Amino acid sequence: MKVDRRSFLGLGLGAVAGVVVSPVGLKLTDDSSIWTQNWPWTPVPIDGEISYDSSVCNLCPGNCGISVRKIAGRPVKIEGLDGYPVNDGGACLHGIAGLQYLYDPSRVRTPLRKNGDIFEAISWDEAISFTAGKLADIRKSNAPQKLACITDKTQGSVPGLFKRFLTAFGSPNLYAMPSLESNLELTAQTLHGSGNTLGFDLENSDFVLSFGAGLIEGWGSPVNCFKANASRKERHAVLYQVEPRLSNTAATADKWIPVKPGTEADLALGICAVMIKNNLFDAANFKAGFAKFAAMVQIEYSLDKVAQTCGINPGEIEKIASLFAKAKMPVAVPGKGRGDSGQNLKEFAAVHTLNCLVGNLNKTGGVFIMAQNDYLSFPEAVMDNVAETGAGQEKMAGSVNDLVEKVNAADKPVVDALFVYNANPCYSLSAPKRVRQAFKKIPFVVSFSSFLDETAMEADVILPINTFLERMEDVPSQAGLAKNIIGMIRPVIKPVFDTKDPGDALILLSTALEGTIAESFGWESYAECLESVTGNNWSSLSEEGHVVISEGAPEGVPEVDFTFLATNPSTVQAQGEFELTLIPIDNMHLTGAALTVSPFALKTVSDRVLTGTDIVVEINPATAKGLKDCGDAILTTPVGEARVKVNFNEGIMPGVIGMVRGLGHTFDNKFVSNKGVNVNDLIGPVIESGSGLDAAFGIKAKISKA
Amino acid sequence: MDSALIPEGADRCSFPKFAIGISIVGAVALWGVYAMFLCWFKGLNQTNMNDYYGFALWIWADLAVIAVGGGAFFTGLLKYIFKVDELKNIINFAVIIGFICYSSALLILAIDIGQPLRGWFIFWHANVHSMLTEVAFCLSCYFAVLTIEFIPNILENRQANKVPFFHHLAHNMHGVMAIFAATGAFLSFFHQGSLGGVAGVMYGRPFAVREGLLIWPWTFFLFTWSAAAFGPCFTLMVTKITEVITGKKLVKDNVVHLLAKISGWMITTYIIAKIIDTIYWAMVTAPSLGFKMSHFYTNNSFYGYWILVTEIVICGVLPGFLLLNKSTRENPTTRLIAIVLGVIGVCLNRWVMVLQIMAVPVMSFDTWALYIPSWQEVATTVLPVAYGIILIAITYRYLPVFPQERELNQPRVDQ
Amino acid sequence: MIQDKKAHKFGMVIDLDKCTGCGSCMVSCMSENNVPFKEDESRKKDSITWMRVYKLTNGKSFPDTQVVYMPRPCQHCSGKGGHGHSPCVSVCPATATDYGYDTGIVSQIYTRCFGCRYCMGACPYHARYFNWWDPKWPEGMENYLSPNVSPRMRGVVEKCSFCYHRYQLAREKAYGEGRDGIEESEYQTACTTACPAGAIVFGDLNDPSHMVHQIVKPDPHPDPMNKYVVDKSRNPKVFRLLERLGTNTKIYYLSEREWVRKAGDNYLDGEWDKVKNHHGSSSHE
Ligand SMILES: Nc1nc2c(c(=O)[nH]1)N[C@H]1C(S)=C(S)[C@@H](COP(=O)(O)OP(=O)(O)OC[C@H]3O[C@@H](n4cnc5c(=O)[nH]c(N)nc54)[C@H](O)[C@@H]3O)O[C@H]1N2
Ligand SMILES: Nc1nc2c(c(=O)[nH]1)N[C@H]1C(S)=C(S)[C@@H](COP(=O)(O)OP(=O)(O)OC[C@H]3O[C@@H](n4cnc5c(=O)[nH]c(N)nc54)[C@H](O)[C@@H]3O)O[C@H]1N2
Ligand code: SF4
Ligand code: SF4
Ligand code: SF4
Ligand code: SF4
Ligand code: SF4
Ligand SMILES: [Mo]
Repeated sequence: MKVDRRSFLGLGLGAVAGVVVSPVGLKLTDDSSIWTQNWPWTPVPIDGEISYDSSVCNLCPGNCGISVRKIAGRPVKIEGLDGYPVNDGGACLHGIAGLQYLYDPSRVRTPLRKNGDIFEAISWDEAISFTAGKLADIRKSNAPQKLACITDKTQGSVPGLFKRFLTAFGSPNLYAMPSLESNLELTAQTLHGSGNTLGFDLENSDFVLSFGAGLIEGWGSPVNCFKANASRKERHAVLYQVEPRLSNTAATADKWIPVKPGTEADLALGICAVMIKNNLFDAANFKAGFAKFAAMVQIEYSLDKVAQTCGINPGEIEKIASLFAKAKMPVAVPGKGRGDSGQNLKEFAAVHTLNCLVGNLNKTGGVFIMAQNDYLSFPEAVMDNVAETGAGQEKMAGSVNDLVEKVNAADKPVVDALFVYNANPCYSLSAPKRVRQAFKKIPFVVSFSSFLDETAMEADVILPINTFLERMEDVPSQAGLAKNIIGMIRPVIKPVFDTKDPGDALILLSTALEGTIAESFGWESYAECLESVTGNNWSSLSEEGHVVISEGAPEGVPEVDFTFLATNPSTVQAQGEFELTLIPIDNMHLTGAALTVSPFALKTVSDRVLTGTDIVVEINPATAKGLKDCGDAILTTPVGEARVKVNFNEGIMPGVIGMVRGLGHTFDNKFVSNKGVNVNDLIGPVIESGSGLDAAFGIKAKISKA
Repeated sequence: MDSALIPEGADRCSFPKFAIGISIVGAVALWGVYAMFLCWFKGLNQTNMNDYYGFALWIWADLAVIAVGGGAFFTGLLKYIFKVDELKNIINFAVIIGFICYSSALLILAIDIGQPLRGWFIFWHANVHSMLTEVAFCLSCYFAVLTIEFIPNILENRQANKVPFFHHLAHNMHGVMAIFAATGAFLSFFHQGSLGGVAGVMYGRPFAVREGLLIWPWTFFLFTWSAAAFGPCFTLMVTKITEVITGKKLVKDNVVHLLAKISGWMITTYIIAKIIDTIYWAMVTAPSLGFKMSHFYTNNSFYGYWILVTEIVICGVLPGFLLLNKSTRENPTTRLIAIVLGVIGVCLNRWVMVLQIMAVPVMSFDTWALYIPSWQEVATTVLPVAYGIILIAITYRYLPVFPQERELNQPRVDQ
Repeated sequence: MIQDKKAHKFGMVIDLDKCTGCGSCMVSCMSENNVPFKEDESRKKDSITWMRVYKLTNGKSFPDTQVVYMPRPCQHCSGKGGHGHSPCVSVCPATATDYGYDTGIVSQIYTRCFGCRYCMGACPYHARYFNWWDPKWPEGMENYLSPNVSPRMRGVVEKCSFCYHRYQLAREKAYGEGRDGIEESEYQTACTTACPAGAIVFGDLNDPSHMVHQIVKPDPHPDPMNKYVVDKSRNPKVFRLLERLGTNTKIYYLSEREWVRKAGDNYLDGEWDKVKNHHGSSSHE
């Protein structure tokens, strides 16, 4: 057939018409749209049977009960556990985001050993025998006390096992990171004798006088505090919040009393003075030092003096004193922010003295003086001669901070090996640079960690630890909770990576070390150990998931010892000469220390706190000379300098700059690291004489346009 | 080289010169095409749009080209329905401009939607309550009509016209064009209007919302009217540009004057309606929702009152006056000023009705949102302009677009 | 007024005096509904948070400043006159978002949405979010995704669904047990159950036995001042966001503080003082 132009065109047109009319086009169109609905790179979650496991969250000392929804054995959602005596249903954002920690990109997936600057993956066998070898050398040198250990806390069987390991090894050098609980214990010890801690019955109090305690910012057992705060409305209970900044707690309070940073103790003592002067106190239980204390406050903390120091007018102080004294169930709460870091004993003691004066100790709605937990019964550790001599030595330092100073001050290594468990001192202590420096001077650092965070990065060996979703552990309530509850963490999923329970890691290590150390750890597994040391409580712990040891006001009227305050210990001052004061802000959306924020939680952080990779600091427009809202600035303190953005906030006292705590992580995690500045980098430690606490509540600073 | 394709008796530049010109503009178009593929393959994260600016530069460009493309339907309406015969001398060009505008609009929409492969759901799962459904249906149908209106002109190409079938087809299509013109006018009325309706029905957006007639908010009628009013300005403007570039007069002054005069009347009546609408909105609609007029115009220097004054007075009242007044209308300079202002005015109106709506906060604690388009958005917005230039260049070169061209450009001696 | 006993009208009251701005509701929502996250979530204008907590201040200077937090899920607007033409539903050209007349829930069909974003422009609450990116989870993390809510693909809009899958599960359970309806406690959204302050109350506004009904006391008559406004609360402490627009939201807010209630809508100078006292509703019980 001859194809001329006409038939060619005809054929062409025919073909076009054919395609248009035929179902091919429709079919392809339809297929392509279906394809967009099933893009292979968009995951399709696998369906299956729904089940629920209950456990306890230990991402913070709150220890809330949680319920984990699982699909075909896969955890898909964490929620608060209804009926659990700490939180009864609610949970905080960190706990709810808990599953993100399980699959965190910066998790340590297998044991690691540092080779030069990089970590290489090794097997557990290698890691244990390598570590045991290093430790054996230390014992051979007859200086077992040169093994030190930093843990997050001291209570519970896991800290107990670390303590036991050190004892059997021959070292007294166990240190816990500063915490609200440790501050409360120190306060209780100072006023009521050792072995005690304080519980605040916030849910029954009708007048809460909080000295900066972030009752809805993560103070104490956070969800428990949220609930107590939320129920105020129905209970007609009143909250007065004393602090330099309109925190969220201050915002929900009935009254916000702005106070100059660092003068909270003065205000508390000034209120004591008014109460004593006006005979608005109840002296039934006072022992040592009251007369001296009473006389001292009238002179040193007279109304006018305190008003001047704190920047509050005298009439207001008198009014607060009288409202507090006349309330039915008043309670004064110490511990700025989360109450853990940058605290001083003078302030804790001064605030708690208000409770002592008003006579609310061991009364519903007041403060409970509770005996420290002693539900664990470990058998005596077996010790050889080396251990006896080593463990009998004096502790090398008074605190983690002190330990850091001692290591940095010495020419020769004073610590030969260091264990770090569930703590991130290379990020969370003030001036963390000096902590990293100390870590570098320690020849052998072993990190028991789930994440390759700042501290783990400094380790020579990392023994990867199960997260709370993969393991078992007893967790005693703490941090000011007015009940004594032991919670039980139970694994909801098999370890996702090659990780172990910290207790099992210690048992493996001790077995490898042989001799008396192995004898001291004669359990098959941590699970067996836990069952045996929890004794009578085991059945409830394993079946109910928790044990309520005590609830409600304890019996008896505790004695109060005023000696410490009667000597009027000096007030800690902010370091430096600049005009403004930089204070850290504890923000519920971020985590302070133990834990790095999750991607979900970080998503809830305001763009007035973090924008891109820039941290935003708060400043009152009245103080912000030459600065622009949202503009760039350089913030300088005696210990550091940082580029920041500025947020004009009418809710912060003039003269004060607020910077959020919990940003500026530097480890490898693109979702949560390298965002903003770590406020600790700008604050140097200020040690309170006497208590040894790092009491740097802030630091002097200046800010200028960038 | 390509002289066999060039209309008889028409004088065109040399092919290499033409090719160089086309490739320069083609390079710009390729840049746009590259950006377009980025948007398709990587997604709309290539833009600077966000959840506040779900509609942004593209939708403005879309509305703007459709508005200025209104010259096609309106000229068609006048020529075929109202039998304004002089307009036959510009109708081809009006149709080509319309075709460019509408094909561009469809292309922009195909880039703009998050799931281009599902775009046809708008027809398949149509929601009759949605103005956008109305837009989609009328727009597609009208584009088909424009194509049909364009075809005879294509078939008049010297070579195509030699094929008897094409010759007859072109002839017969001209014969029935009135029907298509009527259909086009009807469709245009609705889709121009429904584009206005898109904004006017957003009762969650006090800056946009308007009362109206039955299901149609006043913006519906204002959009149709403004497209009819300013579309011819754009036709005249592009004609003028083509004349300048080709260095030839292509359309007789009486035709231009007539279209300008009609446009002047349309602009003036439109702007009166627009002023009434604005006053009613500012005095009644917005206050009933708790908003003072100043809320919409006083936060940032970009969306200040200047934008309202520019749109309505400088680019509305003024061109209306200049085109109504015989002396300014027939003065080439003032006429050019008027039509350029008119084109700017209608584009500004579409800008305001897309972008400012998104920028104004509605919740009392919300903030103004400003945005700057990404280069990908700019490139894809420039793409239709480059495409339009190329298409005009090609059609002008090869098709008998301007019936008066020969008469106005007497053959030179050497021919 | 006759009400269809079968038709639910799910809604919320959020007590702004209790809300602490803690963000548990936001995270619970993200975790429940497979909401993705990306490297930089500080650009709030492209950060997907079905529930977003806004911070409001009273605008006064130190020390009279006050702050309140306002959680904002999708308001599940019933539209003018409560007829189901919510701002977003009425504009969607592809019927990819729909009003459930049996539940009052505004749904979103991800596989039908073609991403024109008209609905986002129409929603004054910024409750709708576009997937500008492909959702991506770090390796292994997709293991925590829930099969009850399908992860969304790039290029579509998503928003709060009132945890519709929880309603479905509750209904299935009731059906399995041979029951007609579901109990108030059987269908609660993930943000409600997460809130540690108990600030959110969720339930059926049509059911007088539900707490949400008892707090809101929806007015059975349209607002005589504005015929488009229905279901106004008769509780003077309760208000809705942008009520005057006639969107008829089903999220109600509760506050003792006048400035907070005023911030819920826009008022001309002096207007608030005229309405504040009978602001809750024009008709009283
Ligand atoms: N300057 C300053 N000093 C502070 C603080 C501060 O905020 N500022 N905070 C104080 C407070 S409150 C604390 S708690 C301490 C912080 O000290 P720690 O509580 O010790 O904090 P991190 O070491 O950061 O804890 C994070 C580590 O927890 C581990 N981890 C997380 N989840 C799990 C788990 O499920 N199982 C196990 N085994 N490990 C897990 C990971 O290994 C990770 O490295 O520092 C205190 N000191
Ligand atoms: N929103 C929010 N909330 C948070 C955080 C956050 O970032 N965001 N941070 C969390 C973090 S990181 C922390 S660290 C916490 C603070 O809390 P943690 O750092 O977890 O501190 P504790 O768990 O209180 O650790 C101290 C424990 O040691 C015990 N202890 C101390 N000394 C002794 C002793 O001599 N003998 C015995 N038997 N026991 C002793 C105390 O009883 C207490 O249980 O706050 C948490 N809360
Ligand atoms: S408050 Fe603490 S224990 Fe409770 S859920 Fe949050 S992180 Fe976990
Ligand atoms: S809040 Fe927005 S998204 Fe939700 S129903 Fe109303 S208009 Fe639609
Ligand atoms: S973006 Fe999706 S849901 Fe929204 S209007 Fe367009 S098609 Fe409908
Ligand atoms: S109701 Fe469900 S989907 Fe909506 S905000 Fe709450 S948790 Fe998210
Ligand atoms: S969880 Fe509750 S208290 Fe926290 S922000 Fe949400 S509504 Fe407010
Ligand atoms: Mo911590």
